[in-house]
Amino acid sequence: MTMAPNYAPDEGSWLCAHCKEPLQQLKVPVFYLGSAFDVLLPRCPKCGMTFVPKSLAEGKMLEVETLLEDK
Amino acid sequence: MLSQDSLRSYEARCTQESPPACRRYCPFDLDGRSLMRLVAQGDIAAARTLLLRHLPLPHLLSQICDHPCEEACLRRDYGGSLAIRDMARFCLAYPVPEKRTLPLPPKRHAMAILGSGLTALTAAWDLAGKNYPVTLFAEGNVDDLLKSHPLWQSQDVRDALAKDLAKLLQKQIEVRPLAAKPDLAELSSAFDAILIDAYALGDRLTLPGASDIDQETLLWHDSICVAGWLSTSPTGHSYLLPSQAASQGRIAAQSMERLAQGLSLTAERKKDQAPLHTDPGKVALAARIEPSAATYSLEEAQAEAKRCLDCQCLRCVRACSYLQQYQGYPRLYARQIHNNATIVKGLHQANALINGCTLCGQCAELCPEHFSMADLCLAAREDMVAAKRMPARAHEFALEDMQNACENAVFLPDQDVSKPSWVFFPGCQLAAERPSQVLELYDILRTQLNGGPLPGVALAITCCGMPAHWAGQKALFSKHMERLRAHLEELGRPKLMTACASCLAAFTEALPDYPLCSVWEVLDTLDISALQSSAKARSDLPKTFSLHDPCTASHNPAWQKAVRSLIQKTGASFCEPEHSGTTTSCCGYGGLVACAQPDTADGLARQRIAELTEPALASCIICRDRFARLGKACWHILDLLLPKEGMSGECLGSGLSEHRTRRAKLRREVLARMGKEEGYPEEGIALAISPELLDDLERRHILRNDLTEAVAFAEAHQTYFLNSENGHRLGSFRPRNVTFWVEYSLDEHGFVLHAAWCHRMIVPGSGGRPANEVIDEQQALQKDAANVGGAQ
Repeated sequence: MTMAPNYAPDEGSWLCAHCKEPLQQLKVPVFYLGSAFDVLLPRCPKCGMTFVPKSLAEGKMLEVETLLEDK
Repeated sequence: MLSQDSLRSYEARCTQESPPACRRYCPFDLDGRSLMRLVAQGDIAAARTLLLRHLPLPHLLSQICDHPCEEACLRRDYGGSLAIRDMARFCLAYPVPEKRTLPLPPKRHAMAILGSGLTALTAAWDLAGKNYPVTLFAEGNVDDLLKSHPLWQSQDVRDALAKDLAKLLQKQIEVRPLAAKPDLAELSSAFDAILIDAYALGDRLTLPGASDIDQETLLWHDSICVAGWLSTSPTGHSYLLPSQAASQGRIAAQSMERLAQGLSLTAERKKDQAPLHTDPGKVALAARIEPSAATYSLEEAQAEAKRCLDCQCLRCVRACSYLQQYQGYPRLYARQIHNNATIVKGLHQANALINGCTLCGQCAELCPEHFSMADLCLAAREDMVAAKRMPARAHEFALEDMQNACENAVFLPDQDVSKPSWVFFPGCQLAAERPSQVLELYDILRTQLNGGPLPGVALAITCCGMPAHWAGQKALFSKHMERLRAHLEELGRPKLMTACASCLAAFTEALPDYPLCSVWEVLDTLDISALQSSAKARSDLPKTFSLHDPCTASHNPAWQKAVRSLIQKTGASFCEPEHSGTTTSCCGYGGLVACAQPDTADGLARQRIAELTEPALASCIICRDRFARLGKACWHILDLLLPKEGMSGECLGSGLSEHRTRRAKLRREVLARMGKEEGYPEEGIALAISPELLDDLERRHILRNDLTEAVAFAEAHQTYFLNSENGHRLGSFRPRNVTFWVEYSLDEHGFVLHAAWCHRMIVPGSGGRPANEVIDEQQALQKDAANVGGAQ
């Protein structure tokens, strides 16, 4: 059981085109300006390719980026 | 970094916190503006508290004060000064429950006051109010005080004084009979400080005149103060001016406290504050409301209070939506910017304030003290860049665009004259937006000038470096300018003429000794009869334009004059908006605000558009495009001089992606004139993007090239996700500090873009690199940083 925030795709049923695997919510560390956070994102369980939903990129992620830049 | 001294010098220039005229002229520092605001709001209890905090002998003064505040009131010429004294009387008479005040601890220094005039009573009121033991030496008993002064003759005044005296006598005060000839030596040994009321004791003691005493302290000698002289009229008549007599009592009381405590009499006493600059502007007349009875009714008082002009300076703030955005004024902003640089931990909350200024300098022009937010913000940006604290997001995109303009730079010598007298510098934005007009203008200049005494016109298409200057990148700006200087020297130091006000400002800043002018000044001296009167004959132009001066030309009267002259020569007519010339407003692009804070920039553009009552006419292509994008028809001066089919003020600019394509195309065209050929870049994949989507993405700094690269990468490496519901593909690519995401599909014509987004955060497994590789790299970087931090 992880406490990391969890972000699923905004819509649709996505699979990795290369591995033909459906995506799973898996933990991945994200990095910015010397900080690192664990986040649960849709990933290909085989090749590790990671999906960043639009709502996350333009919402929470932008917020955290700005916060770290002003630190 | 802004030093404490320069911060103070900045702060002192903004007078918004200075007292309004009424307060400045009140010897008791009573703020009539606040009094009126509280009464207008119906909070009479608070108004009364305000009065009691400032006025000594409040009931008496509200009857007899000669109200210098009303003389100073700015309403005076618009229906009569506010009735501040009558308002005080109303508030004191209004039935509100008396507030219980906590008693102050008793003081040990004994104070003696000789006399019972207004000065003496004021000093007694102030000292007893602070719980000093006060001995009042007066003629007769307390009741006699009511009769002993010629001013106290009216019943209303006597009643008012009785109220104040009743309050005074509740304090630590003792009234003793005044000796016929008081022994000052004896009194000095018994008391810590003494005040002699000159009005009351002039016939008993030989006292100095007002001119013999320092009016700031009213100290006579040792611990004895003298105050309360009569005032003298220009004709030599003596009279008692209540505000002055009471004010001297207050000053003397303050000196007595300092004398008793052995403190400096002068330190921190004089308030050195510039007066509040107030421009009442257009004020509707409103006659002063006189009380229908002895005092105002509540309705009358509120109606009178609402006449208050609520004096503020805010000249700069009213004209600039950026200054309004942070709900303050430059004095506060200077402090916030200073604090932003000095904090050790926590968020730099003024970063947005610093990067939101267009550096247009309008505030400095409007401010009577010339407070410049531009100077403050630019210096702060330079400090942030030097300290590596500038968020990359703020200006990175604009600096990339500058880089693109430099990569597409081209310098064309005059084909016929080996040592040109001129070099035409259209500016990278005009060249990207209007390449054909730029070349046409260049040909006109050559045709006209090559037959004259100063022949030869070279062409230089590149960026002037202004984005680097605005971004606070001092080193980059000076390096770029040195490169440009070298090019110009190579051409034989021809006179530089620019079609862009920002370029001209950048060269003036960096190369002040280089010969410069605007292309409009040159055109204005040439025979352009072929272009003249063309505007009159055109039915597609508005009858009258609102002329918008670019902010970077606000200090360039030659630019402004030439533009007006050229417009007149075309036969077009124009009017000047409220802010024009030196006080013109920025379109929001200046200072890279459109890049760092698009919403702030749009707010500024909208505010400017509201001032332009007619269809607009600009001499800067960026201003034109920004206004047109927000729905304001705006022509560029070249649209009058070199009209193009189908071009109108409503036409939108071509956009940032198209600018890059056009720059490359223009470079190839110019090179072709030199007989050089440059290969075309490889055609990327075909990606259909709707204009609305591209416009939205460009606003978020995602360009067509980023999108095609991302799709090409995903397709080439088969690294995309597939939506099994609709067949959409989703790929990502990180060519620099940004990861771009593209959601697209494939139809019979090629790829179609549906959505795109981007982020700066590094997410392993996205952007085209294997997750493990990115994680290892980032963890190693973090380890290195920790080691460096630990070593320090």
